Amino acid sequence: MTAFILRRLVSTVVTFFIVSMIIFLMMHSIPGGPFDGGEMPLPPAVRDKMMAQYGLDQPLYVQYFKYMSGVLRLDFGVPFQAPGETVLSLIGDAWVPSLVLGGLGVLIGAPLGILLGIAAALNRNTWIDYLASATATIGLTIPVFVTSMLLILVFAVWLNWFPASGWGAPINWVLPVTAYATIPLATYARYTRSAMLDTLNKPFVTVLRAKGLSERKIVYGHVLRNSAIPMVTVFLPMFIGTATGSIFVEAMFRVPGLGSYFVSSIRTRDYPLEMALMLMLTVMFCLAYLISDILYAALNPRIRHGGQGK
Amino acid sequence: MTASLRPAHGPLWYAWKRFAANRAAVVGGGTLAVITLLAILAPLVTPTGPNAQEFLMDSLAGPSAAHWFGVDDLGRDFWTRILYGARVSLTIGFSAAVCSILIGIPLGALAGYYGGSIDWVVMRVIEIFSVVPPLLAAMLLGALTGGGFFTIIVIAGLFGWVQVCLLVRAQIMAFKEKEFVRAARALGASPGYVIRRHLIPNAISPIIVGFVLAIPLAMMLEASLSFLGIGVPPPTPSWGQMINTGMQFMYFYWHMAVFPTAALALTVMATTLFGDGLRDALDPTLKGV
Repeated sequence: MTAFILRRLVSTVVTFFIVSMIIFLMMHSIPGGPFDGGEMPLPPAVRDKMMAQYGLDQPLYVQYFKYMSGVLRLDFGVPFQAPGETVLSLIGDAWVPSLVLGGLGVLIGAPLGILLGIAAALNRNTWIDYLASATATIGLTIPVFVTSMLLILVFAVWLNWFPASGWGAPINWVLPVTAYATIPLATYARYTRSAMLDTLNKPFVTVLRAKGLSERKIVYGHVLRNSAIPMVTVFLPMFIGTATGSIFVEAMFRVPGLGSYFVSSIRTRDYPLEMALMLMLTVMFCLAYLISDILYAALNPRIRHGGQGK
Repeated sequence: MTASLRPAHGPLWYAWKRFAANRAAVVGGGTLAVITLLAILAPLVTPTGPNAQEFLMDSLAGPSAAHWFGVDDLGRDFWTRILYGARVSLTIGFSAAVCSILIGIPLGALAGYYGGSIDWVVMRVIEIFSVVPPLLAAMLLGALTGGGFFTIIVIAGLFGWVQVCLLVRAQIMAFKEKEFVRAARALGASPGYVIRRHLIPNAISPIIVGFVLAIPLAMMLEASLSFLGIGVPPPTPSWGQMINTGMQFMYFYWHMAVFPTAALALTVMATTLFGDGLRDALDPTLKGV
């Protein structure tokens, strides 16, 4: 088990550094620089001085190592779009609305999705199952900005129940959180249903039934627990995966979160901010996969004792 | 006597029966066929061009008998825009799926057949692709290359091949130790021949399924990028772009927001339902997750 964790840890760290290099390279290969000035170009001398001030005149690999060594000391540099602050403080301020939006969305969506999935699996081929499948398909196939658009049209423009944008009061949260919650709801509903059906068809369930155990005890004592193992492995990566969806929800509802920085930092070639955001997401993804792999091994005795978790 | 023991129908017949029994898949496939036909026949269905500003006097007019979906802010017939948007969306979805299988099949076949260090390298590449959020990487790549029609296809293909590769790899690993493959090898068949002649044909169902399911993903990616303003550049009609424009007008001109939204949702959903149905029909053992 320890060897397995160590091996996964090493491979995660290597993956992280490779990804960070690729992102850094790609970011700097985008034509144009942060101080080109667009409509009002700076005099070349001024631009060169600014480039030198931020170390952008040095070779790429020097810049990369400088930046990454800063990252290891939790210094993400100064964003070009707000030179008075640090990237960390900028992200720190914008983090809260994103976290509230994402957290509430998952907290509401995931349990509802799991319940829906369980209900669908236990009532296979009834209207409950069809309703759950339809909900899951709609939620998974319709892009989240389309859902947001429909919610705004119906509840803000026509019915005028909730405000369409802003973030000040909790009433502003209703529509964005609802839009956001559709993603985890659909994903978990679909996943829970198939995991449950998979377990219900296993021979041990037949044995339990033959032993005369009540259906209730079978479902809650055995089937749910056994279905939980495959679900654990997808839980964390999915959780982080929904983070990308927040870019659109935030854009649609004008939420002052991290989402807008993703687009603006790429547009303005704000290298430190962009790099920090990308690294943050990559780290979360890496960690999510790592933790879920370890959890999977810990929960599944076949992998734990076999030792050869692939 | 022996004739009666032979199954009355081939596997394709049973696949078709399973598909036809799946109502959602049939409706999805039918809808997709209608949308594709409308997109191909767009010049016959609507008299004006997608970028012709012929109705500037009626700018932002709502739906009417003359303009089924109304007129947009620049005086273009919106029904025409939506129709030509279907062309863009479907072309990108289809081409990206072709890209996906062109990358995914060879890599999956090599990894599955040779195993060992080749498999290790391919799996590490897949690991790298799995920790980078596709949308953000697509945004970077889009900015890097300046966006545009063909760039989007390549980007979508670049993120669509992983699924195909994994499916092909799994199928080939399952088949490479079967007797008929060993027999072929014992008769002196080269690895390339074995893969082409024996293993790929046995992986054809997952390839078809991977292909069809890559289409809606690519369409969503295109719409998302265009929505953010880094996808297909105007005036090429793209639904994502139209949704973005529609947002600015939706309080007073609802048609600007509703029609592109509905078009995108309908097409993506129809394609997904069709793909899911195809998966269940072609290979009942592959489960949808």
